[in-house]
Amino acid sequence: MAPEWTQLLPVAVVLSSLVPGLLIFTLREHQVGLRTALNLGGVLLKLLLVGLMLWGVSQGLSFRFALPFIPGGELVLQGDALSLQFVALSSILWAATTLYAIGYLEGAPLRSRFFGYFSLCVSATVGLALAGNLVTFLLFYELLTLATFPLVVHRGTPEALRAGRMYLAYTLGGGALVLMGAALLHLLAGSPDFTPGGYLAPLVDDNRAGLTLAFALLIAGLGVKAALIPLHSWLPKAMVAPAPVSALLHAVAVVKAGAFGIVRVVYDVFGVEPVALLQLNEPLLWLAAATIIYGSLKALQQREIKKRLAFSTVSQVSYITLGVALLGPIGAIGALVHLVHQGLMKITLFFCAGNFAETLHVHRIREMDGIGRRMPLTMAAFTVGALGMMGVPPIAGFISKWYLGLGALETEYYWVLGVLVASGLLNAAYFLPMVYRGWFAPPPEHWPEDTGLGGGRGGIRETHWMLLWPTLFTAALALLAGILASTGISPLAWAELIVAREFES
Amino acid sequence: MTLALMSLLLPLASALVLLVLRARSPVLMILATLGSLIAAAGALYQVVDGGEQLLALGGWEPPLGIRFRLTPLSGLLLVFTALIHLLVAFYAAASRHSQTRHTDYWPLSGLLHASLVALWLSNDLFNWYVTLELLGLVAVALVTLAGPKAYRAAMRYLILSLVASLFYLLGVALLYGRYGVLDVALLASLTEADATTHTALLLMTLGLMLKAALWPLHLWLPPAHAGAPTAVSALLSALVVKGPLFILWLIWSEIAPPALARDMGFIMALAGVAALLSGGWSAMRTPYIKTLVAYSTVAQLGYALMALGLLLYWELPELHVALWLFVLSHGLAKVSMFLAAGEMQATLGSKRISALTGATQTMPVAMFAFAVAGGSLIGLPPSGGFLAKWLLLQPLFAEPANWFWAFAVLLGTLASAVYVFRVVALAFDRAKPTRPDFDPHVLAQWLALIPALLVWGMALVSQPLILWLTGVTH
Repeated sequence: MAPEWTQLLPVAVVLSSLVPGLLIFTLREHQVGLRTALNLGGVLLKLLLVGLMLWGVSQGLSFRFALPFIPGGELVLQGDALSLQFVALSSILWAATTLYAIGYLEGAPLRSRFFGYFSLCVSATVGLALAGNLVTFLLFYELLTLATFPLVVHRGTPEALRAGRMYLAYTLGGGALVLMGAALLHLLAGSPDFTPGGYLAPLVDDNRAGLTLAFALLIAGLGVKAALIPLHSWLPKAMVAPAPVSALLHAVAVVKAGAFGIVRVVYDVFGVEPVALLQLNEPLLWLAAATIIYGSLKALQQREIKKRLAFSTVSQVSYITLGVALLGPIGAIGALVHLVHQGLMKITLFFCAGNFAETLHVHRIREMDGIGRRMPLTMAAFTVGALGMMGVPPIAGFISKWYLGLGALETEYYWVLGVLVASGLLNAAYFLPMVYRGWFAPPPEHWPEDTGLGGGRGGIRETHWMLLWPTLFTAALALLAGILASTGISPLAWAELIVAREFES
Repeated sequence: MTLALMSLLLPLASALVLLVLRARSPVLMILATLGSLIAAAGALYQVVDGGEQLLALGGWEPPLGIRFRLTPLSGLLLVFTALIHLLVAFYAAASRHSQTRHTDYWPLSGLLHASLVALWLSNDLFNWYVTLELLGLVAVALVTLAGPKAYRAAMRYLILSLVASLFYLLGVALLYGRYGVLDVALLASLTEADATTHTALLLMTLGLMLKAALWPLHLWLPPAHAGAPTAVSALLSALVVKGPLFILWLIWSEIAPPALARDMGFIMALAGVAALLSGGWSAMRTPYIKTLVAYSTVAQLGYALMALGLLLYWELPELHVALWLFVLSHGLAKVSMFLAAGEMQATLGSKRISALTGATQTMPVAMFAFAVAGGSLIGLPPSGGFLAKWLLLQPLFAEPANWFWAFAVLLGTLASAVYVFRVVALAFDRAKPTRPDFDPHVLAQWLALIPALLVWGMALVSQPLILWLTGVTH
């Protein structure tokens, strides 16, 4: 019997970037046209397929593809509401980043290798989002580590190699812990499909020690990628990667894979009630809160733009963990919506940092003085991202923080409100000076090095169009996600749908 | 059974023809290995279809005669052996940098193949002694192909191999004196837990562990495997050390009295952990490429020893599957890794790991093969190494008291990740890539990659393979 198209669609979504990626490896450096065609073809195809899947899910179709793998654990790719949110986010941001990367790397060596791994990285992310059980999740989690490593060390400098080694040490160690946790749960309950409300509830009474250990292993393993303290040190170091890689790393691929995994483990593997029964959420909550404050404090100390953004990621991604650990439906909405919002805002900020570096060789914060006159559009996008991170309405970040705050009230963790307020103030303390310098400080006599990309004048030609347009696009999305939050097409509406399904059982 | 014998006789006959004619032609040996592979596949099909087969050599029945036994597992090992030999033979014939292109490698590898097949098919303590002796001598001869600088390592290998054979033979003699039979099936029903049996089993174990380079008797392995020509290193690591392991597995799971097996199992499992850690540690620190790969064999054999020990200690039949999956996946991955390492070493003109700087640019395919094979050694999903590790981990989590063993596996995994990626990370260095001495040879690099792809391809048949192995090893 031929498989239905609904079975094949999840596979096609993964393959739509995997196949172009593998083809790109075989290309020679100078085959720019073909490589660009493959890249953009893959991007468009993936967007189309994901759109189809979104439409299908809204029509009540279910997408599930399964292959036998090990006894009790199939390889399952499926599209439920939660996975689609992540898939849609990664495909849209991948599209923007691909365009950005083509512009960014114009003329650089080893581009076939770069774009090959770039596509593999996105394939692994999408596979991870579509993974239907813990075994499949583990598989893509490890593949993501492998596909990202060559991107981190792409520049091949001693500094890049150091960062790459550190990245591997952390993420492979984390992967080994996830493997252990998954193996332990597999022994106790097999690896059934992710289920809203979890599938471990019947085991809680007899296996407290086993489940607690499994939870600790999984959270520690996922916490590496999600950059929870004390496992976050690789992230700021990995900043040596080219800007599009940093953007993807921080907004979609690696960091989000960890946060997404934590969402999956708490909601769809353990379930809210077993986690509460085993009293596992409070340690997680404390850890997330500590990471939020610590990341912000460290960000405040940084002098380089990318470093400051990196520590800001450490802090911001933990909002997702925080919302999950609150264990209430409203906190969950905050967590899930922040998964998208943080991605939109952070990718914008990294694109901007890349634009400053590529166009004017501006790397440090004090070099940003007056940059708004030279590059007003990029600076405007930066401002949207920065204000959004602080939680200023109507930008997307405000919505996340609002729901997280309400969630804390709902589950009566009043001290979490204090953490949110403190973090908001710290965010303002490290983002506002950058915004102020950019717009209001007098520009220097001359820039560190003006490459004259685009046309060298402020406005639509302030830098290469492939660098500028993706930046404006993601900034617009971050703004729209906030303004249109109450409509049916916003990330918020989708997060509410997911949470309704998770908490009804 | 005829087919299994064909699989034995084809390489043997071709080796003898080459020796008699003083010819050193790769073609004949490759054809013979291919024939042997086809025959082995046929034999496997028959034994899966029709069940276990016995053949009394010369028409004499045990206890007087000796007999060959073809079980589904030995059928699988026949296929595995022929496949590895074929992959290595292609490389040895094709690579411009292989030191074995027109040498005694060809007849010797045929003999090695034949003795391994005889070992898998035997089911009798003395016959195993003969095959072990053959295997050891041929292996030593193969190591010496690398020239005078390998003589020291080869000599040490020879002496230890002979000592090990003596230990083994002494144990066999004791058992024969006590029970008057050598056939495993007959012995299994006779053995009692007395002092003679214990001593005999311990002596045999000592000999076999020495031959299989199981910790702490592994020190001869790194110089021998690293010093041998590349194709030989691949065969030694992938196949030769697995022979004694097979015998060890059979005598302990079939002949040994259960109480002794439990005690011994615990010791073996501990030795396995020690092998994982000490092999991993040495691989992390050595400055030489092939020595790193050789130490990784010591470490990986630790997993197999751990699986064997724990299956005896807890009497858990599931672990048989983990043990044999380790053997299969390690064999394939190690072939790939040795071929890739040897090819890079020969092309870049240095034995040192530091010579691999920038190898992703100069020798991308070989480096990729090294990394892919390394992924299986680490146990990244969905490779064969992952499957084996997963099955090993399952019982370790059953009770909190067993978590120590799981922790050991975790440490072993991390160690393997470190030694694989210390090479891979270096290969991404763009600053000062090592210039190749020779033109990189693309075909040879691809031949090194094939086994690594096969070990990851095990994922496609993983579930049927696991279920089948569960059925045939219980």
